[in-house]
Amino acid sequence: MLIATDIGGTFTDLVAFDPTTGRVAHAKSHTDPADYTAGIARCLDKSGLDVASAREFLHGSTIAINTAIERKGARTALLVTRGTRDVYRIGRSNRPESYNLFFERPEPLVARRLTFEIDERMSARGDELLPLDREAAAQAVEQARAGGAEAIAICFLHSFVDPAHEGEAAAIVREAAPALFVSLSHEILREYREYERMSTTVINAYVGPKVSAYLEGLERMLAERSYRGRVYIMQSNGGVMAPETARQQPARTMESGPVGGAIAAARLADRLGLAHAVVFDMGGTTAKAALVRDGTPDMSDGYFVGGPMSGQPVMLPVVDVVEVGAGGGSIAVVDEVGALRVGPESAGGRPGPICYGWGGTRPTVTDANAVLGRLSPTNFLGGEMPLDVDRAGAALEAEIGRPLGLDRAGAALAVVDVAVSKMALAVRAVSVQRGLDPRDCALIAFGGAGPLHACAIARTLHIPTVVVPTFPGHFSALGMLLADIRHDFVRTVYRRLDEMDPAELLGVVDQLRADATARLELEGIDRGAVEHELSLDLRYVGQEFTLRTPVDLEELRTGALDAVRSRFDDLHHTRYGHQALTEHVEVINARVIGVARRHQPRVGNADNPAGDRSGGGHREVAFSEGERTVVRRCTVVSREALHDGDEVVGPAIVEEYASTLVLDDGDKACVGADGDIVVTIGG
Amino acid sequence: MTTSALRSAPAAEISARVHPVTVEVVRNSLSAAADEMADGLARSSYNMMIYEVRDFSCALLDTKGRLLCQNVGGVSHFVADLGVVIQDAVSRIGIDGFRPGDGYIMNHQRVCGQHLNNVVAYTPVFAAGRLYAFAVVRAHWVDVGGMSTGFGAAGGGVTDPWIEGLQIDQLRIQRDGDFDPTLLKLVLDNVRYPESALGDLRAQLAACRAGGQRLEALIGRYGIDAVTLSIQRLFADSEERCRRIVADIPDGEYTASSFLDNDLVDLDARLEIAARVVVRGSDMTIDLSGCARQRKSSINSRTRAAACVAYKAVTTPLEPVNEGSFAALEVLIDEGNFMMAEFPAPMAKWSIPIPTVVDTILAALAPAIRDRVPAAHHASLGGGIAFFGVDPGTKRHFVTQTVEGGGWGARPDADGQSAAVSVCQGDVRNAPIESLELKYPLRVVRRELRADSGGAGRHRGGLGVTTEIQNLVDGTWSFTVPPREQCPPWGLFGGDAAATGAIELRDGTDSAYQRIGSGRRPVRAGASVRITSGGGGGWGDPLDRPLDEVDADLLDGFVTPEAAEGRYAVVVDRTNGLVDRERTARLRQAGR
Repeated sequence: MLIATDIGGTFTDLVAFDPTTGRVAHAKSHTDPADYTAGIARCLDKSGLDVASAREFLHGSTIAINTAIERKGARTALLVTRGTRDVYRIGRSNRPESYNLFFERPEPLVARRLTFEIDERMSARGDELLPLDREAAAQAVEQARAGGAEAIAICFLHSFVDPAHEGEAAAIVREAAPALFVSLSHEILREYREYERMSTTVINAYVGPKVSAYLEGLERMLAERSYRGRVYIMQSNGGVMAPETARQQPARTMESGPVGGAIAAARLADRLGLAHAVVFDMGGTTAKAALVRDGTPDMSDGYFVGGPMSGQPVMLPVVDVVEVGAGGGSIAVVDEVGALRVGPESAGGRPGPICYGWGGTRPTVTDANAVLGRLSPTNFLGGEMPLDVDRAGAALEAEIGRPLGLDRAGAALAVVDVAVSKMALAVRAVSVQRGLDPRDCALIAFGGAGPLHACAIARTLHIPTVVVPTFPGHFSALGMLLADIRHDFVRTVYRRLDEMDPAELLGVVDQLRADATARLELEGIDRGAVEHELSLDLRYVGQEFTLRTPVDLEELRTGALDAVRSRFDDLHHTRYGHQALTEHVEVINARVIGVARRHQPRVGNADNPAGDRSGGGHREVAFSEGERTVVRRCTVVSREALHDGDEVVGPAIVEEYASTLVLDDGDKACVGADGDIVVTIGG
Repeated sequence: MTTSALRSAPAAEISARVHPVTVEVVRNSLSAAADEMADGLARSSYNMMIYEVRDFSCALLDTKGRLLCQNVGGVSHFVADLGVVIQDAVSRIGIDGFRPGDGYIMNHQRVCGQHLNNVVAYTPVFAAGRLYAFAVVRAHWVDVGGMSTGFGAAGGGVTDPWIEGLQIDQLRIQRDGDFDPTLLKLVLDNVRYPESALGDLRAQLAACRAGGQRLEALIGRYGIDAVTLSIQRLFADSEERCRRIVADIPDGEYTASSFLDNDLVDLDARLEIAARVVVRGSDMTIDLSGCARQRKSSINSRTRAAACVAYKAVTTPLEPVNEGSFAALEVLIDEGNFMMAEFPAPMAKWSIPIPTVVDTILAALAPAIRDRVPAAHHASLGGGIAFFGVDPGTKRHFVTQTVEGGGWGARPDADGQSAAVSVCQGDVRNAPIESLELKYPLRVVRRELRADSGGAGRHRGGLGVTTEIQNLVDGTWSFTVPPREQCPPWGLFGGDAAATGAIELRDGTDSAYQRIGSGRRPVRAGASVRITSGGGGGWGDPLDRPLDEVDADLLDGFVTPEAAEGRYAVVVDRTNGLVDRERTARLRQAGR
């Protein structure tokens, strides 16, 4: 038995899979911010699972990121190189909102009064220019303690080249104040750019004590239920890690939320032989798109906690997700100049869409879908929740239709079509904008509202195929069950490729491989089971941004750097539409990912006890044809009634417990052996 | 004009002829297209002025030079200023003179009115076989020959545009998507860093092509008529959004003035800045005709940027920019004004006065919109420092620059932001210390906030920055000193003015720092510069600042005990570093 639990802001989810029976179980409970483990305990109790006999427990949570966003972390001190006391506050001095006189810059998580400059200096090449002033470091620790610090971050200039001074300072801290949570920049991110490294290191220290305590509580709760299996914690990089690593480096767990779906989609793409798949997840407040190439999600080197406008940079690898404010709960308005806007404002889970009848008064995308007949008023969530279509329709007519001169269906269609166009931009951003022809891509759609709009988005972008996996409402949680154990290691090299001694490069990579292996061994992995993924961050001399270019060990051993170079040229051409074959290329970073594969459970077309097999019949559903509204008589099929090889031809609706698939005229759905629905987009 | 009558007739007419969904799709797609152009350019360009300083703009314009969309987050003073380039191109080359696959470049000051480093590249976009629009990218090249290295030349020697660099006047550099080898050679032979220039040019043209393709795809899907009508609707919407804001500002004529200490060459002659803002109903006129006449120094330009940036900031700062964003704004700048200089006038330092002009316009409006304007900011583009030379180790030429932020004015409800780039710069980033030291023979000794540099007030102005850099090899520093010593960033409604910025140089570690002026300074290895940026002005009476906030500033060292006593009329207890409440009360009582 494998158990995955995911703590979100509102709900805690559990999905369990039994490989021997193929059964999937799920449970849901509300999240209690005062006691996060309580929600998990309730889910475990509700599910009736035999926890003691379970083999693996996988866990993702938003605790680290919420601690940072809500500014409820530890009182943190910061030790820096003399002359750089304010680097953390100055940041990059930028103002992304150019015309906004009232812009906000990132609010530091460390007070200036708890930031201490220490005499020490390394050069960019790792020469010691000034030894560490040990006495000053000890004094700073004393002052930090006196100032009430519970955590301490240390970030010295050029520690990515030579971390000796950070190590020395850490030893002083640990001796003087063993209770302090310590976060060292070179252990978190061995990469140049002091502000980004400092911010990442600080955030790690800031959330550290809280995440640590939480994980200890989680393990205690599991032990009380006689659980004896392994525990894995979800990371932002699409892998999992042991809780002991997560306690030291909680910053690596911050963006694990959207990751599960990307992993599951990557496995699905692999199984179906799809070289390029766009992962599309639409929930209540946002829609997210990511790209999977050759079975691997595209990664980004960092992100901003609290948003790109005034958030804190965290430069740790993360699945590259493009998000737009268009979800089922997104509110539609006709604004003061008569423009129709959908989102980013959302009715959220409460009060939610009008049709839920929980007090919502403003029309949402879900209301529009209900009015169009795409959602069943009587069979939503297996009939657990009747939809008040009339009230939703009246609001759409009054607030959208009247000012725009559209009837009820026209207004609802306009709302859905605008949402679709916004989501299509996100899908395009991860495909066309990365140099891919959409005709070579498939769209893997999930989340409660993903399959509702997937075919329309695919049609807009000329994507020929849409795949809807089994359990689209639980796909993200299922993805956690499939995650491998992964650890990222990076080291700034900074040398021209043609001037690089291949032996030196090999030495760096070998060291990183050894680090990765050592980390995995610490987590109980057999050395022989460790795989390494190698890449170099390359760019043309003079550029700033790099492209992560895969390499294999053999190329480094034989010094075959020409092949690496031309792979980079090709990547550059694909990504940006031009290349420079005669210009010099430089190596900025070497990266190694240590991977230990976990056994891959095959979650197939298992019985869904919550499902409703009734369905059937026909329903009138509105579609847009150009600017006209047309009503088509749709076949309504229950997903649970579909089997391997079955076909459904649009216009049709395929309903299941937590999701609805809409097929327009000419779309053709086929059910695969594992229960996935593959739609060929018509016309 | 009343609010209810704001809707211009065409908008309603357009609504009847194009579906609202189409309008929204066109709106979102055009914004995305410009941002996509910017993303590709920044990521694949070759110079830090583009990828870090984001000294560029990407846009789509119609054949009349009207702005369809522009990227978000770049340099603000590039707002809506590409129209003149396209109008000039179409009038001289002819509407039928463009072919698919063409790529043009342009920086001629007669039309562009900026320093020559800002090179415009553009490609025509066709629909149904006819010229429909242009995709345009303006970007700052590191060098365009002459005295242009870095931020462009300053100093008395730059007396005409040709000394500044290469003038490129609407040249077709690409035909059928291939470079014209003769023309390309001529350009590259006359710039100092040809690899960088070529890399940037390639990135610019690739961005143009990507933007053009997005527009073509949009037209392919919805047809020319629907897209054209949608664009008209977007213009009308943008105009109306602005009108609604302006209509709420009391009618009247508002004025303010300021000055730069000098024009960088003639050190005795102030550069006067005078702003007159007239609000009538939903119309606004910004009249800058009272500003100084054009100068012999290179501080000239042809630009409406100051007025447009101020207007945008006051009306719809978070909305995308298009031609409609300024339709309800009239800008008056007479020919021969330093911001409407007649060619040939040197323009290398064209942007230096712009942030101060923006602040002056805002100061004029402040009494009318008290709660929506911050006090003055450091108003320095902050990038007036560059170091170049030949690395003795690698024998390679290098040029390095960094843009340092400064303090922003305090706000009606909060302290000013510290260490942020000027109002003319958006997502512009300083160079990381580690990046500077890795790439160049430099050592950054410190980068820190300047205590006491923010103006005192009920809300304190933000702090400036001190950056100290040592050069490890022989080379040349190029400086532009912000000439605001005599007219420091002002406070509003009783707030104090802020400290101003300066540049100091010392030859070796033994000697003392000395203040220096603008110009180029060859130096030996081991010299250092210290660049300080100004703070922001205060807002409201300093005596109204709650003592808890003064305490917090003291604890964090943003304000020194001496300054706190001098400016906030408090007594600081030197044993704990906090305000002594009792003695402060007595002091203030006695002062009354």
